[in-house]
Amino acid sequence: MNIGGAGFRLQLTALLIAAIAGCGPTYPKNKFEGSIVNVCKKEYKADVKVEAIGKTVAIYLPLRDLIDFNFSITKSASEKINDVILSVSRVALSSDAEFDFYVIIAHDVLIPEIQIVIIKSVDDVKRFLLNDISRSEYSKRMLIDIRMSPQAQKERSIKEIFERMVLDKKTQEQVLNDFFRSEPAALGDIGYWNNHFYIKDISLAEFIAEQIANRVRTEFREEKGLSDIFMLKSSKCHYLSKKGKAYFRMEIAADPRSLAQTKDAVYQNKVFGEGMSVSAAVTHNYRFSGFEYVEIIDVVDGKSVEVSGDDLELFRRKKLKLEEIVK
Amino acid sequence: MIPKRWKMYFNMYWIRLAIILAIILVLILAVWGLMSLESFYRNITLATMPINLIMVALNATIFVFMYMMFMQGGLAKISKSKIKGELVNVKWNDVIGMEEAKREAWEVVQLIKDRARVKKIGGKILRGILMLGPPGCGKTYMAKAIATEAAVPFLSMSGSEFVEIFVGVGASRVRRLFKKARELAYGYGGCIVFIDELDAIARKRVFSVFGGTEETNSTQNQLLAEMDGLHEKDENVIVIGATNAPEDNLDKALLRPGRFDRKLYIDRPNLDEREKIFQFYFDKVKYDKSSVDIKRLARKAVYKTPAEIENIVKESALIAARDNKESIEFKHISEAIERIEMGLKHRRHMTPHEKEMTAYHESGHLVVLYLLHPTEDVFKASIIGRKESLGVVHHQPREEMFTKSRESLLADVKVSLAGYVAEKMKFGTTSSGVSMDFKMAMATAHAMVWSLGMNDAGLVGDYTSIPETQLSEKLKQTLNDETGKIFTRCLKDVDELLTEERVILDRFVKELLAKEELDYDEIDAIFKEYGKFGMQAV
Repeated sequence: MNIGGAGFRLQLTALLIAAIAGCGPTYPKNKFEGSIVNVCKKEYKADVKVEAIGKTVAIYLPLRDLIDFNFSITKSASEKINDVILSVSRVALSSDAEFDFYVIIAHDVLIPEIQIVIIKSVDDVKRFLLNDISRSEYSKRMLIDIRMSPQAQKERSIKEIFERMVLDKKTQEQVLNDFFRSEPAALGDIGYWNNHFYIKDISLAEFIAEQIANRVRTEFREEKGLSDIFMLKSSKCHYLSKKGKAYFRMEIAADPRSLAQTKDAVYQNKVFGEGMSVSAAVTHNYRFSGFEYVEIIDVVDGKSVEVSGDDLELFRRKKLKLEEIVK
Repeated sequence: MIPKRWKMYFNMYWIRLAIILAIILVLILAVWGLMSLESFYRNITLATMPINLIMVALNATIFVFMYMMFMQGGLAKISKSKIKGELVNVKWNDVIGMEEAKREAWEVVQLIKDRARVKKIGGKILRGILMLGPPGCGKTYMAKAIATEAAVPFLSMSGSEFVEIFVGVGASRVRRLFKKARELAYGYGGCIVFIDELDAIARKRVFSVFGGTEETNSTQNQLLAEMDGLHEKDENVIVIGATNAPEDNLDKALLRPGRFDRKLYIDRPNLDEREKIFQFYFDKVKYDKSSVDIKRLARKAVYKTPAEIENIVKESALIAARDNKESIEFKHISEAIERIEMGLKHRRHMTPHEKEMTAYHESGHLVVLYLLHPTEDVFKASIIGRKESLGVVHHQPREEMFTKSRESLLADVKVSLAGYVAEKMKFGTTSSGVSMDFKMAMATAHAMVWSLGMNDAGLVGDYTSIPETQLSEKLKQTLNDETGKIFTRCLKDVDELLTEERVILDRFVKELLAKEELDYDEIDAIFKEYGKFGMQAV
């Protein structure tokens, strides 16, 4: 009796069984939305609503105590949101439904105008679980925004007009549906209001653009070398097209804390340098090449610079210096 | 009811079975666990499984290697500790050339087969058989034949495999061997344990005054215990031990009844047996029946063991192949025997004088051997160097002789001295080539007088068994004088013979210088040419 051979045969059989058993997805495409609802309900007792558009799926999570009196997320709400993120990640990863992004919209049922919107790339989740990216990088790739619901703001203003016009409820709803309830144009317009999802099919380019703006904000806030000299007022980034050429347009408004200090040559072009570093890193991380150049505008100085995709890559690889780009 | 064989397999392999069942259980649990995972995690696990398996195998290999290297004294142990269990297939009719031993062995086979009947009558159950005899006589072969004929499994180990530097390792191997034998005996109704080179563990035990013990002691103790233990277990395990060592060298405890209580002497084959053995091996090769006389070969191969006969046939086949012959001829066999007996030729450059002296020396031996020796035949004469010698006269007994007569011993002395006499006769001087001859002649003459009572002074007895200091000077003087007398008388006889046969001597010198080598047939023809016949013929 050859125990080694028998063991090998057994292992081979087990592998075959396991391979056969591992062929099908746990959450099939046709039950995808229901699966998210079930997992959230069954494992975390969270009642969620789900809607998908294109390759983006949105999850609405109503909560009782989303924010406290300091206007920060409560601990219980944070845990619940994390539970839902985990549930959605699990379903998204173990499904044959091909989703690229998912959006979690958390609402406080008592203050429905305030919402937290979290946008994640399914690919980022996979890479994180496979240890391809670090936890800090994973956090940076997640878009989190706490804001007043744009639709709520819009509808409140319109409803004031309707009140003055003394329109009945049915007509109000019809007018709103016909003229004021549409797919959002930008990521900032994504939300949930009055039993309606306001979502769009997110593209990788606009996700990258939003992430660049987000990262610039984080850098100016957390990087001591920047936060000591500048006070960031705003950071925006859009993916646009001009004359058939796709590009990223970044607008960074950072006020210098001391005028005397900024006259120093070391601090000049700092804003451009930061914009280039972040955009180079993000586009490289996603292997994104669908752009010709990046336009960075220093709103305070009124200066701007255009950096081609190739130069951006050379800059990232330290083969090209900032001074050689910004003359 | 569960068959005995199944029970035997269960007893033998229950650890393996338990391991296999455990592996199956673990695999089922693993598959179950995998199936309960979500497909993403399952895919990750499956994707990493091959590399994990490779890593586990690599780690295990490294661990085993390190363990064997540092804890067990090297990887050689792995093969050593294995016990071979095999059902051999040596048929009784294949055992040839040991008719006497076969008859005794057949009785052993019957005892193994009819164990139940012997027990019923109250007879003694056979526990162990000791096979004694020179190497190459077929002890292992006989043991295998016994196993085949008795239709029981055969476990074989060499005594040296039990010997280890660490005390207890050999004993544990003995335990394992007998454990396996008992398991097989349970399933097959009997089992033969064959221990070759038994003397490695069966030498007389050494008991130290310091209380320590040798490794072989503990191994032998374990063997004794296991052979006794068989009584209690009542399983048909028969131990066959084989050794070339004399029986006296073995520990008495092993030889007492109940252990190796039956002894089989496997001796060298006699003339008839040698003929059968030659026939057996020649049947396996192509040979020229017109030139190869098997009866003659059997006569030539006096004292040869079956292994040596097999070697001669195989060597002949090689020589025939080298000569591009389709079959073996007599000259190939003759060359093979010569190569085996005398070694490879080693030509040395000799001066003509030295060569002539060597020719006279060897011719002297040849003439005296042929004309005077009562029991030996000349086989070949040569003046081509082999090993250390410059020439040789190869001779062998005409038939098996187990004792030597006075006449035969005197002839030995005369043959040894003949080289010296021939050299002196021709050249008036002698060479250092006589040293080995003198040594042999002196040793024989000394033994004849001192040990065998073959002297004219009437001194009978073995004087070498008495310490020399206890012998009187007179007695020693007398014994030495008698030795000298034998020497002188032999020298005179040889001198007279060679003077008388000077023509034949010179003829052989001439022939040897011309041909360098002379075979029996050529030598015989020359003697007959001069009307001379060997002692036997006379």
